[in-house]
Amino acid sequence: MTHEATHEITLTRIFDAPPELVYRAFVDPDQLGQWFGPVGFSVPYESVHIDARPGGYQRLVMVSDDDPSERSTINATFSEVVENELLAGHQDVEGIPGTTGSVRLHFRLEFHAEPDGKTRLELRQGPFAEPLGNDSKTGWESSFTRLDSLLRRSL
Amino acid sequence: MRADDQLSVVFAALADPTRRAIIARLADGDATVTELAEPFSISLPAISRHLKVLEHAGLISRSRSGQWRSSSLDAAPLKEATDWMERYRVFWDASFDRLDAHLRRIQRDASRSSAHRKEEEQ
Repeated sequence: MTHEATHEITLTRIFDAPPELVYRAFVDPDQLGQWFGPVGFSVPYESVHIDARPGGYQRLVMVSDDDPSERSTINATFSEVVENELLAGHQDVEGIPGTTGSVRLHFRLEFHAEPDGKTRLELRQGPFAEPLGNDSKTGWESSFTRLDSLLRRSL
Repeated sequence: MRADDQLSVVFAALADPTRRAIIARLADGDATVTELAEPFSISLPAISRHLKVLEHAGLISRSRSGQWRSSSLDAAPLKEATDWMERYRVFWDASFDRLDAHLRRIQRDASRSSAHRKEEEQ
């Protein structure tokens, strides 16, 4: 849907590994720190704490390789956890370069099995709350398209 | 108010489908509370509360045009939030590149160690 572009991101990625392995890379503290974060940042092993169950948490710190004083923390709470299938919840992100406060974002990670032992990972992240129902959606689609073009014009 | 606090307020305001729909409607042009409430099965006071949240976030401004108070969209804070989300997309793209390499590595190591075990068994 077009409107997601204005306040949410969606990403789909195919990994050449089965869902069990991809899921584990997210919930195993030994693994998460090895790949999570932007290039130029490291995640110290001792900063990673994960309790993968509904109501559980995921906490970690990303540290700049160039300047260790530049740190960003992620403090996530899981609302939905289905082993090898789903991780969803919200995360409070602090210390993103250029900001000093905390921003709350919701996330939803779906792990779908694909042929040949592959995994289709679908990520949705943003300030979303689940829709109220069809009432709120009907008739808005053209508006969202307009909104997208409005935002592009203000670039 | 610091810029980052403003961003948090904007994201909180956006974390509601009704408020996002109101914003989308206002992208088509200014509207009164009654016009904004029309597609929803919720009361005018409820819509007014949503408008207050959006106004506080700097996403809309409200004015009196004649008898009716109308709302209009202020796109700048929305664009700031959109830009922020786009940085997150870059963040995930980079992380997924590294995850891809990580998964290849652990699978290669696993197949090597199982091949090693087979050699030892022979």
